[in-house]
Amino acid sequence: MDILSQLPQQLINGLTLGGVYALIAIGYTMVYGILFMLNFAHGEIYMIGGFAGWWVLHLLSSGNRLVMHAALVIALMIVGAMAVSGLVGVLSERFAYRPLRQAPRMNALLSALGVSIFLQNLVLNFQGAKPRFFHVSALIPEGLRVIEVGGVVFSFMRGLVISVSFLFMGVLTYVVKKTKMGKAMRATAQDIEAANFMGIDTDRIIVMVFLIGSALGGAAGTLVGMLFTQVDYYVGFQAGIKGFTAAVLGGIGNIFGAMLGGIILGLLEALATSLFPSAYKDVVAFAVLIVVLIFKPSGLLGEPMREKV
Amino acid sequence: MMKRTFAVMFTLMAVLPFFVGTATADDVKDSIHVGDAGAFTGDAAAPCMEIFNSAQIAVDEWNAKGGIQGAKIEHVMGDDAMDPAQAVNVAHKFVADDLMYGVIGPPMSHTAQATLKIYGTNDLACITTAASKPELTEQGYTHFFRVNARNDAHGPNCARYIVEELGAEKVAILNEKVAYTVNLATQTIKALKELGVTDIMQDTIVGGAKDYSAVMTKVKSYDPDVLFFMATAAPDHAIAVRQMKEFGIDAHYFATEGGRDKKDFIEAAEGAAEGAYIYHFSPDIYAIPEAKGYIEKYEKQYGSISGFGPPAYEAMNILLLAMNRAAEDGDITRKEVIEELHRIDGYEGILGFPITFNKKGDLAGGATYFFKVVDGDFKQVGVMSGNM
Repeated sequence: MDILSQLPQQLINGLTLGGVYALIAIGYTMVYGILFMLNFAHGEIYMIGGFAGWWVLHLLSSGNRLVMHAALVIALMIVGAMAVSGLVGVLSERFAYRPLRQAPRMNALLSALGVSIFLQNLVLNFQGAKPRFFHVSALIPEGLRVIEVGGVVFSFMRGLVISVSFLFMGVLTYVVKKTKMGKAMRATAQDIEAANFMGIDTDRIIVMVFLIGSALGGAAGTLVGMLFTQVDYYVGFQAGIKGFTAAVLGGIGNIFGAMLGGIILGLLEALATSLFPSAYKDVVAFAVLIVVLIFKPSGLLGEPMREKV
Repeated sequence: MMKRTFAVMFTLMAVLPFFVGTATADDVKDSIHVGDAGAFTGDAAAPCMEIFNSAQIAVDEWNAKGGIQGAKIEHVMGDDAMDPAQAVNVAHKFVADDLMYGVIGPPMSHTAQATLKIYGTNDLACITTAASKPELTEQGYTHFFRVNARNDAHGPNCARYIVEELGAEKVAILNEKVAYTVNLATQTIKALKELGVTDIMQDTIVGGAKDYSAVMTKVKSYDPDVLFFMATAAPDHAIAVRQMKEFGIDAHYFATEGGRDKKDFIEAAEGAAEGAYIYHFSPDIYAIPEAKGYIEKYEKQYGSISGFGPPAYEAMNILLLAMNRAAEDGDITRKEVIEELHRIDGYEGILGFPITFNKKGDLAGGATYFFKVVDGDFKQVGVMSGNM
């Protein structure tokens, strides 16, 4: 089998997955950067985004037709998913994590696991166990369905997923680096107490972090739903693990590390499938993670952790 | 004080029926249980619910006729969610139920395998309607029966169809790495080689992964005539056939029996499934006159039939027939039920062929049916008889 000829296609496959992993990883890493807490419920936030997107699509189509322009429907799906997921993220912070802010870190971790199980079962209860199918045909402009150049296939949905995920990463980079709120976020991440003394409303910043991270997770959920056309109550588990891995690979706590980690993880999985039996793709991805952590325990872009006094 | 008295009373009320149940187990008067083990939640929920509902129709018919020697039949659901560990829990629950004399299922090879010993050592008869791994009936147990053909019939039959009818010279086989698909892949490859097809690509996938694009890229560069995609659940087939088309792979899509689900495969794939082939252990039920009554009842109560239901209706009828015969002398044991099942000879039901079990519990002379997706529906295009 010619592996070289598969390379361009696998790069595209990997970039699509990588963009999605990056969006999920950002949520993990932002929360960890400020609260040193692994929000295990983040995978479920992603899953809920998928369902929210499905509902928007479902409500805006009658039969196989859309009630408005496809581009508008896609935008509303993404916005709707971000709104619902963002809200769920903020609510979970308010009711499950904030009361435990002063408690030992293990308590918040267990609370996150609880939120994860709660959300999963909530969706199972109200949406059922069967997968929901995204009838995406009507969303794709005729003629742009699949573009093939020299045996390399580039579908409309892949293009959409890649461009939207990279757009969001760009916007987030701008917000964090250039705006006042971004500055406040960075300050809070550096030292939450000192930031508080400097007059930053750190509670508000934490809410913003949950809102942004969860909204991006929700966007990832609905993008994947459009691309792979299915969502069920259990998809959050796998996605959560992948997002978490990407965050650790890039250096947890570092937003750009999360983006880099996600893209690398996606590419690794795709390329590993070409080189090995496809069942080994996760083995390869995690083996690379282990090797990276051996040589750079704080991840690719992570700073060595300083003990806080 | 009052509170404590109430607590004791409630506890007694909750516990007492179990003791009463034990006392009357062998001379069933009011009620008798049959279990139904399957994945009633998760990706395979649709076919499994069809199995349950079809078996329920048989139970209702028997109850209308007076049940088992006057005892009302109760149909107990045991959900394993496709997970062997949960299937073991279901099996323990069923064998501990003293009123239970038979089980329909488990419908999947890996859950059947995980529970084989538990049901076997407790002499609780099981009739599976779909589990097809040959080894299930090769381990010396006498309690396990099936109304469907085995993989060592399906594999060679599919291989023959792929070579003789589809004219394939290059075949790609992807399997989900569960007991049933691994075994089917082995059986199919063996038969393909015997038929002279040696250009075979084999790889594995993860069920429920929702994305097969990396492995489809591999398949594309292999450029097969037929892609035999072996996955348990129909939604996985929907994604696979969609991505096969997306990548422009010019091959016949050939699906395993789990894909025979109009909503979760054909409709979910939004046109991509058109022209796909699929094999199944049960025939086009609409072509069999004896099945008319069952079809009417099912469609009236539960909606459309995909193909998993009819064998379950048949299996439940056979199980209840055996139980009724075992109970004729006013006394019933689980062992008697198993013995009566082995005595079933040429049972004529709704499947269009007489059912007899061989010594191992396998169907004597099973068949594999082939369907093609035409105009958004499954059309039966062929049948190959088993070589068991």
